[in-house]
Amino acid sequence: MKVNIRKWNGVAIWSWDVPKEEVCGICRTSFDMTCSSCKFPGDQCPLVLGVCTHRFHTHCIEKWLEVETSKNLCPMCRQWFQEKTDDGDGGTGAHANTSVHSSDVVSTT
Amino acid sequence: MAARNRILKELRGLEKETLDGINIELTDNIYVLFATISVDGNPLYKDQVYKVKFTITEEYPFTPPACMFVKDIDRGIVSIPIHPHIYTNGHICLDLLGTAWTPVHTIRSILLSLHSFLASNTRSERPPDDSSYFKHAPKNPKDTRFVYHDDTV
Repeated sequence: MKVNIRKWNGVAIWSWDVPKEEVCGICRTSFDMTCSSCKFPGDQCPLVLGVCTHRFHTHCIEKWLEVETSKNLCPMCRQWFQEKTDDGDGGTGAHANTSVHSSDVVSTT
Repeated sequence: MAARNRILKELRGLEKETLDGINIELTDNIYVLFATISVDGNPLYKDQVYKVKFTITEEYPFTPPACMFVKDIDRGIVSIPIHPHIYTNGHICLDLLGTAWTPVHTIRSILLSLHSFLASNTRSERPPDDSSYFKHAPKNPKDTRFVYHDDTV
């Protein structure tokens, strides 16, 4: 049997490169969803990793650090919150899984 | 809106995984809820049920809920637990509800703190400034600037 592929549609699914079950400690929403003020996940609602290794939606942690009582501390561990600057693959980058979802496969005999 | 979503998530969690000795009581207003606490392990509070009121604002979880003990005479909850950090009017001197609050805390973590606050207490007394505080205390406990003078209780 010989198969000729005439056409295929690639479908890509993206997710942040973080453990699936992890949620933002501030809004309690999964990192693949948005913070509570955004509508669309992705680059418009990025994540941030602190030097202390705690991760949040950027908008969530910004909102907390604006509050006077935060004293600029990480809400998880109370260390001074500072963004971990990228040392190569920082881990918060989007990770795309491309997979062929549907394809028109026509078989000729 | 943000506060509302988070409260709903927390309530779902509290429903799924209940806490020993603690019952949540909802009201028509999602920003106001009650919990009853009983601490059987401590002879000071044996056979007693206490009631806590949470009043949450739109700023939640960036600011803590206002939280205090209340009475519910109709249901036989007639007393405020005697504790060196709990005032006669129900106000609670607990840093978690003030300066130590961070948005990763939850209604659940407050309830757990209050429960252990009672469970571990051995002193049957009110705060030293109870009588003067009672006279001048603001209605909202969050308006009080508590001095957390004693970490041992």
